Formats: sequence, C-alpha cells, structure tokens
Amino acid sequence: MGVFENKFQDNVVVASLDKLLGWARSTSPWFFQFGLACCAIEMMATAASRHDLMRIGMLPRSSPRQADVMIVAGTVTLKMALRVKKLYEQMANPKYVISMGSCATSGGPYWQHGYHVLKGVDLVVPVDVYVPGCPPRPEALIEGLLKLQEKIQSDRPLTRKIA
Amino acid sequence: MTDNLEQLIKEAVEKALEGDMDAINNIEDRVTRSKAKAALVKAKREAAKEKPEVSSDESDSNQDSAKIKTSNENIAELIIQQFPEDINKDLCSEGHIQIHPKNWMAIAKYLRDDPACLFDSLQCITGVDLGEESDLEVRYNLHSMTHLHAIEVRITCSRNNAKVPSVESIWRIGDWFERETYDMYGIEFDGHRDLSRILLPEDWEGWPLRKDYDVQETYHGIVVPKVKEGWE
Repeated sequence: MGVFENKFQDNVVVASLDKLLGWARSTSPWFFQFGLACCAIEMMATAASRHDLMRIGMLPRSSPRQADVMIVAGTVTLKMALRVKKLYEQMANPKYVISMGSCATSGGPYWQHGYHVLKGVDLVVPVDVYVPGCPPRPEALIEGLLKLQEKIQSDRPLTRKIA
Repeated sequence: MTDNLEQLIKEAVEKALEGDMDAINNIEDRVTRSKAKAALVKAKREAAKEKPEVSSDESDSNQDSAKIKTSNENIAELIIQQFPEDINKDLCSEGHIQIHPKNWMAIAKYLRDDPACLFDSLQCITGVDLGEESDLEVRYNLHSMTHLHAIEVRITCSRNNAKVPSVESIWRIGDWFERETYDMYGIEFDGHRDLSRILLPEDWEGWPLRKDYDVQETYHGIVVPKVKEGWE
C-alpha cells in the first residue's frame, strides 16, 4: 500500500475507496423476493437452510425499493412483462437482474406456441447473468450468484468511465 | 427359532384377516411385527386379485358408471317432457344432451330445482371450437350431490354471433367459468354481471383457443415472434 505501509496499527486495513465500495456491494446483494413459476421453488430451496444464501450475504427483501438484485424466476407472460419492467424501474441503483431458467432466458418450452409468453426477459429489462436449466438446481443458481458477485466486485463506481 | 416366528406371523395374519388387528399389534418384537404387517398387506392384495374373477358383474364401480350412463338419457327424457322444443333429440346421446340456447335459463333452473334432477353443482363450463368453418360449442358438466348423477349439456352457437344465456345467477360458480370461456373463445354470456377477460390482459386482441386465432404482432411495443415452421 505504498506510502501507508506500516503507518497504522495492525487492525487497520488500507484500501482504495473504489475497491472497498465494490467489495461492500458484492458481499450483500439483497435479492427481490418474487417468483413467477416453478423456478421459484428452486429459488426458495436455494434460500432455505440446506443451501443457505445468507452465507454469501443474500437475503430476500419483499420490496423492490430495498432490493439490489432481481431474480426473474420463471415464465414471464406478456401480462407480467409490463409488471416486471415496472418493478425493475422501482429498484434503486445500482441494480442487477438474474434471468433464472430457460423460460426467463428465451421463453423455454413456450418458445414456439406460447402466444402469451415473453420470449426472454432481456426484451424488457437488462440482464446481467443468465442461469440455464429447467429449472436450474440451487447449485446452478448459486453459481450464477457468485458470477454476479464477481461482476459487482469488478465495478469501479467512483472511477470516471472514459467512453 | 425361525420356524416358530413364521408360525407366529402366519397365525397373526390369519387372525387379522378375520378382523382382529390386535393379534399383530400385540407382537412385542418390532421386526416381527413389521414382518407380520407386510405379510398382511400381501395377503390382502392376493385376496383382492381373486375377487373380480368371482363377481365382475356386481362390482361397485361398474354400477356407478352404468348409473351415469343412463342418467343422461333419463334427464333428456325429462327435459323433452318439460321443454319439447328446446332439445335437439337427434344430437343427444348417452354421453350428453344437446340444447338450443334460447330457453337455456329456464332449463337450467329446472335442472337445479326439480326433485328428480337437483343438479346443485356446476362442475365445469368449457368451450369447444368445432372447426374453422363450423360453430362454437359450450359444454356444461352438472352433478347432483343428492342423487349422485351427472350429465353433460351442450349448446352450440354461431362463430360470428356467439351468444349464450348466462347461468351465473343460477350457479354462482358459473361466474368465473363463463369469464374464462369468454376469455378463450369470445363466447358472450348474456346477462353475466361482469363479463370481462379473466386470465389475459384486458387489452388483448383476439380469442386464443379459436382455431382461426391469429397471434397479435406486438403487445405494448413488445414483439411477439411468430414461429410457425418447426417440427410439425
């Protein structure tokens, strides 16, 4: 740490504020608790005691205002698509979206004949991580969440981006 | 030792088959007790296998289905007596009763209240598209908790002017059934208190379960892709 080396006591850690913010954000991404179809069951299993999402700092919030991550768990119908978009808009920045399962990613089994199904949630909200599966097992969802944490950690919120 | 145990189990099962379950429940050793219970289940299963060969004509389930089969004809005769002009006798069969839509309210009231019918539960209303060049049909499944008989009533209506009297005021459950049928087939139920879409959004175009349904191209700016080619 350059000039700060050995200037403080042993219990003081020195880091750049940018990295510190990324670390803080990535280790407590609270997720928005709403499920649309059978993927929600796996999401519940992931949050329950066996897989225990709390150990990677995630806990479910019932309001979009308090959530950082939206896990779109299940089939998004066209009727629901407008609501999903509205809920996403209600979340505070920085916000992230995980598309869980093949329905949310591409329409899944409703790809060809589902007149009422949105063919991928990325048509209405920007998606950060796609988790494949029908439905994905909790392990797969956790893998996706860890990938998202990596992504959040690599963000540099205070650094000016050069276009 | 094992011979003794087998003997014990055999005796207990025989007693249990005669109706004395205590013979098994009083066995002290847990393993022996569970063995005895397994043997009892096996014995009962074998007994059940032999039964239908002996008395296949008189088994309960056959009687029930026979009752349901005949109830359609009986009820059809009752309706012919009461409403001779509103029933299409040629199209009636063992499975259903075909009715003209005009007097359906009166017939429904009769079916619910007449002591011989007493259809107090409307179990299902569903629509059927009989083909692009053909008519639409509404089917009602009625069941009586008193007489334990069931019938199916069918009403056809034209595709361009699909109107059927609502029975929502007679069977309250008909409210949502009729809204669902309206949602999927566009069949209008005259006299329904709030006939609106129940599953699809209010501003949806078209009736999805009709054979000539054309998927709308966009919904609120979201493109609905039409994938027609494929494995079919």
